[in-house]
Amino acid sequence: MGDYNRDGHKHKGVMPVERTERNVGRVSTLTCMAISGALALSFFALASLLGYPVVARVGGAVWVFLLSMIVSLPLVTSYWKRRHKGD
Amino acid sequence: MMTQHTDTKEMASVVLPVRGMSCASCVAHVELALRELPGVSHVVVNLATGTARVEYTPGVVLVDQMKQAVRNIGYEVTEKVEAEEVVDREREERQQEIRRQGLYLLFAAPVSLIIMLGTFRDYWILPYFVPEWLGNKLLLGLLATPIVLGPGRQFFVNSFRGLRHGVTDMNLLYATGIGAAYLIAVINTLWPEAGFGGKGATFYESAALLTTFIVLGRWLEALTRGRTSEAIRKLMSLKPKVARVLRNGQELELPADDVQVGDLVSVRPGESIPVDGLVLEGYSAVDESMITGESIPVEKKTGDEVIGGTMNKTGAFQFKATKVGKETALAQIIKLVEDAQASKAPIQKLADWVAGHFILGVHALALLVFAFWFFLGYSYFFDPSTSFLLSPHKLGEIGVFGFSLLLSITVLVISCPCAVGLATPSAMMAGAGKAAEHGVLFKGADAIEATSKLTTIIFDKTGTLTKGEPSVTDVSVNGSMNGLMDDELLALAASVEKGSEHPLGEAIVRATQERGLAIADVESFNAIPGHGVEARCQDHEVLLGNRKLMSDREVDIQGLLLQAEALEQEGKTVMFVAVDGKAAGLIAVADTLKDFSKEALERLHRLGLEVVMITGDNQRTAQAIARQVGIDRVLAEVLPQDKAEEVRKLQAQGKRVAMVGDGINDAPALAQADVGIAIGSGTDVAKETGHVILIKEDLRDVVVALEVAKATMRKVKQNLFWAFGYNTVMIPVAAGVFYPLAKLVVSPEIAAFLMATSSVSVTLNTLLLKRFAPTLKREEQQPALTAGQWATTTATGINIKE
Repeated sequence: MGDYNRDGHKHKGVMPVERTERNVGRVSTLTCMAISGALALSFFALASLLGYPVVARVGGAVWVFLLSMIVSLPLVTSYWKRRHKGD
Repeated sequence: MMTQHTDTKEMASVVLPVRGMSCASCVAHVELALRELPGVSHVVVNLATGTARVEYTPGVVLVDQMKQAVRNIGYEVTEKVEAEEVVDREREERQQEIRRQGLYLLFAAPVSLIIMLGTFRDYWILPYFVPEWLGNKLLLGLLATPIVLGPGRQFFVNSFRGLRHGVTDMNLLYATGIGAAYLIAVINTLWPEAGFGGKGATFYESAALLTTFIVLGRWLEALTRGRTSEAIRKLMSLKPKVARVLRNGQELELPADDVQVGDLVSVRPGESIPVDGLVLEGYSAVDESMITGESIPVEKKTGDEVIGGTMNKTGAFQFKATKVGKETALAQIIKLVEDAQASKAPIQKLADWVAGHFILGVHALALLVFAFWFFLGYSYFFDPSTSFLLSPHKLGEIGVFGFSLLLSITVLVISCPCAVGLATPSAMMAGAGKAAEHGVLFKGADAIEATSKLTTIIFDKTGTLTKGEPSVTDVSVNGSMNGLMDDELLALAASVEKGSEHPLGEAIVRATQERGLAIADVESFNAIPGHGVEARCQDHEVLLGNRKLMSDREVDIQGLLLQAEALEQEGKTVMFVAVDGKAAGLIAVADTLKDFSKEALERLHRLGLEVVMITGDNQRTAQAIARQVGIDRVLAEVLPQDKAEEVRKLQAQGKRVAMVGDGINDAPALAQADVGIAIGSGTDVAKETGHVILIKEDLRDVVVALEVAKATMRKVKQNLFWAFGYNTVMIPVAAGVFYPLAKLVVSPEIAAFLMATSSVSVTLNTLLLKRFAPTLKREEQQPALTAGQWATTTATGINIKE
């Protein structure tokens, strides 16, 4: 539906909105997972270094990962959307 | 689909009803999703009305693409067909929401109470009547599970939908709060040695009460939210369903929508007038209060205009339909109020922006709080005797992870800015509706905000402060004319002017007719351009004109000159009358003030506003009018095209200026002013330029507009205080800033309760605006009249000053 204009002609040279959305979503998720994973790992490493119990280390790393994903996802998504538009 | 085309041919606009928005963050997300579409030029999303108004270029983007974009971020889009249907649908949806959240509450509240009793059964007097088995952690877990998975499910589903598209909203705050509290409780029940705080930290009551309080907030919000849009509903309910139409000599009862322009419509006493029209036959009094705010029924006779939706009171009449369907005044008013309610004030844009970034900031803060208490806070400050605020529950066994997580979750829950999203639009909706009740139409929320900040009001003179047509103000007979009475002099002058088309002559004829005096025929008549007229009437030679005419005809007017000069000082135009070569008297004519001009200006002064008059008249006339009404400053001899420039000059002095004019001649000045107030539009509200439209020709409505705008903005600020106040004060408390001193932490359920209180305070505070009445109306409702008060004293609705 999104590929066609009112007259039923296919838009030329314009990336359909849905496909762009999907691409942006995929790239954003991967980027966020990388950032959040790095932060969670750093947390885990620091907690291990300071001798925290395993549960605290693992639980903390999961919580840090979750919050980092939530914080970074909108920022990263908007960044990739801007990049796609720029293209 | 209701598509309204804008001024330019290439642009179109559409209003999409969006469901599922619950906070300012949702508003920001929907706006962003739509704005990012190619071809979309402007988007305004209103949380209170649940609508998105999109301006776009047809052909570049499709409405379906817009809908898809909104659906992609987890919200539902419904079709909008007719305003009436939207209101019905909105009401239906609200009823559904009230029912749904009410049922959830009915289940969650008692079960949560049982869980709480079970959790705290060892405290206070509870061991005496709470059975021991109720404190069993497994049982508590079994009771909490249906609450989290039932009423709490909506938060998980909605936040997941948003997250899939990179959107974070307040559902995520709830979901993380409820989910984490429940998960820790389950772990501590099944594996107490896992290091999450053990059996002493099974926060089933937190998960259950958190869910219950959030659901309570949602339920109360749904209950109160719809009431702010009652104005539209009230206006729509005015729309009559049936009309009696006379076709081919027969009276047919037709649906009001089927009435055609030109149809002859019959109205009986007690019936609603179905469409706008002109009275052809009959006489009656019509209650127009629902449209114009005028409290006293207005008399209607042949040639008078009637407004669809108003109520016929006493007599029966027939009228010709002039406007039907969407052209009627009622339909236009509904459209304007709807537009105003769907628009966004600058203060709201700021609040939305802040709230939109708030959630992200809160999650970042929750991360920082967690890291701080995990690595530093717990080891430095944790005390095993720590308890929850307003709870006997101790945190003795809780570990570093459990404690840090607890504070982190509480920050998330307590800082939800859902009340911020409602603060401005709910007050704006209520304000726009309240203004419409009094015959004042704001064209947008920005107009309400701008009106509340005004410092200076400029009134156009002719047609705004004054009636715009000359009237006879003084008739005076020369002392030497023994036996001649004022009325005789006026009647004589009217006889002479009967054939004249000069405005001054017309004023004399009108005044004579109003006094019920007979106007005689003239035997001969001669107009002397620029000077006056001469005629032979009742065997007398009569001259009527200015000094020059009298001087040319050698009439001695010395005895009248003193009086003439005094009248001219008051801005009046003096005409001398000579009979058979002798000065018989004078007649003064002036553009008189409208009934309530003086009172309106007095009230504006009381509000502390500077009042300016602008006119093309000379200084003397302008000053005379200014003295009568109490104008602070006069801008005289200003050409119509220069009025906008004068407005600009005042604005350059840092003043916030409103221009009050008739909306046609003053259009450029109205547009230039911070607020253009078009007065007396009658039924043609949609054609008016200006930001505020006054349906009646009553200048006191300018005061009503100001008072409503100020009251609305006061409400907006109070709401924003309540909305942000809770968050601002409670976030540091939740983050544990005072923990080292107080050894108390805020439990997630208390956080949820505070957050729900914030939303409810905002909606209840807005509802108080419904009780607002402008000073004028309050005074009118006072039964006893006291000296100096303005009061309605005649049945025709004319107010006079005692």
